[in-house]
Amino acid sequence: MGESMPQYRSAAEGNFLFEYLDHTADIQIHAWGCSLEEAFANAGLGMFNYMTPLSEIAKDPSCSRYFDVEGHDEQSLLYNFLDELLFVFSTELLVCCELTVLTLDRATWKIRAFANGEKFERGRHASGTEIKAITYSAMQITEKEHDAEVFVIVDI
Amino acid sequence: MAEKRRKFHEEMKFIKRISPTQYEIAQGFVPNMRVPGICYVNSALEGLLFDELKAYSSSGGQGGFLPAVKQMANVAAMPGIVQRSIALPDMHSGYGFAIGNVAAFDMSDPDAVVSPGGVGFDINCGVRLIRTNLTEADVADKKEELAQVLFDHIPVGVGSQGIIATNTKDLDTILEMGMDYSVREGYSWAEDKEHCEEYGRMLSANPAKVSQRAKKRGLPQMGTLGGGNHYAEIQVIDKVFDEVAARKMGIDQEGQVCIMLHSGSRGLGHQVATDALTSMDKAMSRDGIKVNDRQLACTRINSQEGQDYLAGMACAANFAWVNRSSMTFLVRQAFQKIFKQQADDMDMHVVYDVSHNIAKVEEHLINGVPKQLLVHRKGSTRAFPPHHPLIPVDYQMIGQPVLIGGTMGTHSYVLTGTERGMAETFGSTCHGAGRAASRNSSRRTLDYTQVLDNLKTKGISIRVASPKLVMEEAPESYKDVSAVVDTCHEAGISKKTVRLRPIAVIKG
Repeated sequence: MGESMPQYRSAAEGNFLFEYLDHTADIQIHAWGCSLEEAFANAGLGMFNYMTPLSEIAKDPSCSRYFDVEGHDEQSLLYNFLDELLFVFSTELLVCCELTVLTLDRATWKIRAFANGEKFERGRHASGTEIKAITYSAMQITEKEHDAEVFVIVDI
Repeated sequence: MAEKRRKFHEEMKFIKRISPTQYEIAQGFVPNMRVPGICYVNSALEGLLFDELKAYSSSGGQGGFLPAVKQMANVAAMPGIVQRSIALPDMHSGYGFAIGNVAAFDMSDPDAVVSPGGVGFDINCGVRLIRTNLTEADVADKKEELAQVLFDHIPVGVGSQGIIATNTKDLDTILEMGMDYSVREGYSWAEDKEHCEEYGRMLSANPAKVSQRAKKRGLPQMGTLGGGNHYAEIQVIDKVFDEVAARKMGIDQEGQVCIMLHSGSRGLGHQVATDALTSMDKAMSRDGIKVNDRQLACTRINSQEGQDYLAGMACAANFAWVNRSSMTFLVRQAFQKIFKQQADDMDMHVVYDVSHNIAKVEEHLINGVPKQLLVHRKGSTRAFPPHHPLIPVDYQMIGQPVLIGGTMGTHSYVLTGTERGMAETFGSTCHGAGRAASRNSSRRTLDYTQVLDNLKTKGISIRVASPKLVMEEAPESYKDVSAVVDTCHEAGISKKTVRLRPIAVIKG
């Protein structure tokens, strides 16, 4: 499986470790990293970048914060993590341009992450496309030594 | 993902054309199917359907997604499903249910389920049509100005916030009372309610079943259009197919100006759906319910989670009606400002308001016996026939109006429901064009300025917040809405009344 994957990871956005894959109605975010922690964080960045280009987002120290999220298995942890980020965007308009998953506990399925970014301002920041929700549809999380990747479809 | 994928030609053995507008998906296409699937698709549209399946059969399992035919077949495997899983011509891959998927579950069967994936994240996303007595000639020289005023009045796109003040207390009232709130506060005319499904208020709503998270997302977004495929359009009547029905709806003059709104329950609805998915995901293992796809999370209708979801969904539905009503108010204000006339002098009545993402308890005849069913319509419009007790008095003779929103720059349609649709599709028909190309490929292959130029040459004024969205939402990314509507018309599940053409588009 997976021997010949010419386009695989080839469509990465800028220097980021995520890309957007084809889906008829929505968008599939494919994110990767050296560890599951990195892959999760990159999936979050991939989501924000779809709503507004992260290259234009500055780091406002007053906006930096911690996220604590839990799930009941690997997939629900990713789902809940992204859902929390989307919730913070929807209610406080916070866009994160830097995300670090500090701890990912596989016994209790808990995540602690640290984020930097700033508030989205219409007019100053470019509008991308609004994301409605995270889905479990065709969600995949795979982990190998020094490599991890996630596939998640978000609803547009 | 352990199961081995079949080859495309092996998959095709389960799919049989049974009429010029229908395919049957036989049991066995996916595991545990309880009923067959029926796809309404004609030869012009079938290519798109099979392309998804072909891509799936030949892919290696890295990434990828389930094709719509697989999804609607997975729905046919859910407990309590009645007769058939139905896919309409605008079908395409969604999450859980396909988009354009209808399924009914028997309320008297204790194992029957309700699924948030069968409604979608945008609960009560729908379309509203407002008529005017203006003609295309009246608006010709004011079109640009009108588009700008509408764009200024209606907040659209990423991070937009409503301008209609709402506090937490109002929000609970909105969730409980739906459009009765809008009428009370003076945003809606009393007669607007008569022309909405459920009269703009689902009585089963219980705001206590909506999480604080959902309320927090909904609060700043009242009266906002949203992004994606949502829009506000100024349209003109382009062709009348059924004069009697068109006259009844007051939209029988070619060149007559109408306004179409396409929007839903915003962040509130998205969060209600997300919360329900999360709670059901847990409940399913407890109750031993097995489904073929995790996104099909469901629960028994009579379980606590099922009842809570239905009460929360009704709140989100009410929010969506108030949202469309708030925007109707803004549209009327904009027209008053430009034409210096009162909205009622311009005859700005709501023709109808449909929901195309919702689950409803309805009575249908199954083998000649009336039965209470929970009908899930995801990307599908209710289309009740003439004389049905749940449609407005003034439309009793013609059947329920069905509003089909086209895509940016293409036609929209008004249809009516039929007896045949009532018998075959639980009184349901299509909801729009349905996507054909992925958002990503549209971004890659289409050029922003070219898409805008194409609209300009058609004489369409456009105001849009996001350039990327213009590419994603370009008509090239969608199926031909006329082919979709024609399939439904030929199949007899709905009947064409009028066709509309856009002259101004406002989008996120």
